[in-house]
Amino acid sequence: MSATMPHEPFESGDLAGEYVLGVLDADERREVAARIARDFAFAREVAAWEARLAPLAAEIVPVPPPAYVWTRIRAELGHAPRATPEPLWQRLGFWRWLSAGALAVATASLVTLFVQRPAPTAPVAPPLVAIMALDNGAPAFVATIDRERGTMVVTPVTSWSDTAHVPELWLIPPGDRAHSLGVVATGKPMTVSIPPALLGTLGAQAIVAISVEPPGGSPTGQATGPIIAKGNISGI
Amino acid sequence: LIEARDPSTGTEALRDALHAVARGDRAAFETVYSRTSAKLFGVCVRILPKRSDAEEVLQEIYTTVWRKAASYDASLASPVTWLVMIARSKAIDRARTDDSERTAPIDAAVEVADDAIAGVAAAVQDDERRRLDACLGELEPERRRLVRAAFFDGATYEELARRSETPLGTIKSWIRRSLLKLKACLER
Repeated sequence: MSATMPHEPFESGDLAGEYVLGVLDADERREVAARIARDFAFAREVAAWEARLAPLAAEIVPVPPPAYVWTRIRAELGHAPRATPEPLWQRLGFWRWLSAGALAVATASLVTLFVQRPAPTAPVAPPLVAIMALDNGAPAFVATIDRERGTMVVTPVTSWSDTAHVPELWLIPPGDRAHSLGVVATGKPMTVSIPPALLGTLGAQAIVAISVEPPGGSPTGQATGPIIAKGNISGI
Repeated sequence: LIEARDPSTGTEALRDALHAVARGDRAAFETVYSRTSAKLFGVCVRILPKRSDAEEVLQEIYTTVWRKAASYDASLASPVTWLVMIARSKAIDRARTDDSERTAPIDAAVEVADDAIAGVAAAVQDDERRRLDACLGELEPERRRLVRAAFFDGATYEELARRSETPLGTIKSWIRRSLLKLKACLER
């Protein structure tokens, strides 16, 4: 373990770096973990190394875990099956209460409620999501699709440094050409409308993509710059 | 890292959610999980070859997040950094209890990622990442690949030595010197 090389550095900074990088064996990791708990200066050094190496994590490809992991986590923590209450209009009891004859009382409040969000007559379609990733797997934009409203919220998850160009969003239904959904914002989430004709094409086979275009977007209706990020649409 | 610049949706929203989790807010916990679990599972899957191990460790990570959210110090780390580092630490600890180590040669494992970075660097960049990439770029290619393999796979010195067919003492010396060089470069 030791004295194999001359000039082996033993500064605490190194041990912290080795720990964060992940090269230590089980015994060494236990010793370091114990030291982090009792040595505040060393804990700071570990945190500094974590901050130094953290940008590498951008390259880690996100992998959605199976849904039962969340169920197991809640079970282990003793949380209720559902952590957040459903919206009023999605609760079964609310509709029973309505049909029980309280319709008149409810009408006034429902008018304002429904102006903001139409009540679903069918079960609410679960939202669709797409993570648009770079070639190296790092996410660049995330899209959340509300099929009932026909909207897509596009959120940039990394900064856009190319001030001479803008990102343009494309929807590519299976077996079809790319349809532009317009230029999207680079510094904040943006809601875009999905043309009604394309709404029906949204599914697991559809792709959303971002191309690099001149200011104002592609002048031709086709992507003129490289596609730098793309992702499949999938259910949550 | 998954960090939008807009304070209302990115880092600050996640930071607020973690503070709420520290107060026992289950809805905030669900928010944290839904926004970060794919990234953290990606960390686990990379380090742990067995999917069932990765799932168990992900469960362990989030129960830890629920219990330790109060210890999150926003002055030390961004929320995603804190979460990713918990994930790496738990996944590496689990990997150390298991004998099923990877045996793929280092070059095959990480060369592809090296090339991909160069390809996309022009359009979308993050300042910190660019700085780290530049400093990694100052290392000799062989040592850079070792550092990357260690970070992404959580490989021990012994594993790196086996996979790169290089003596253990040499590997240790290379990694330690690379860490010193990286630190000096990043602090310039």
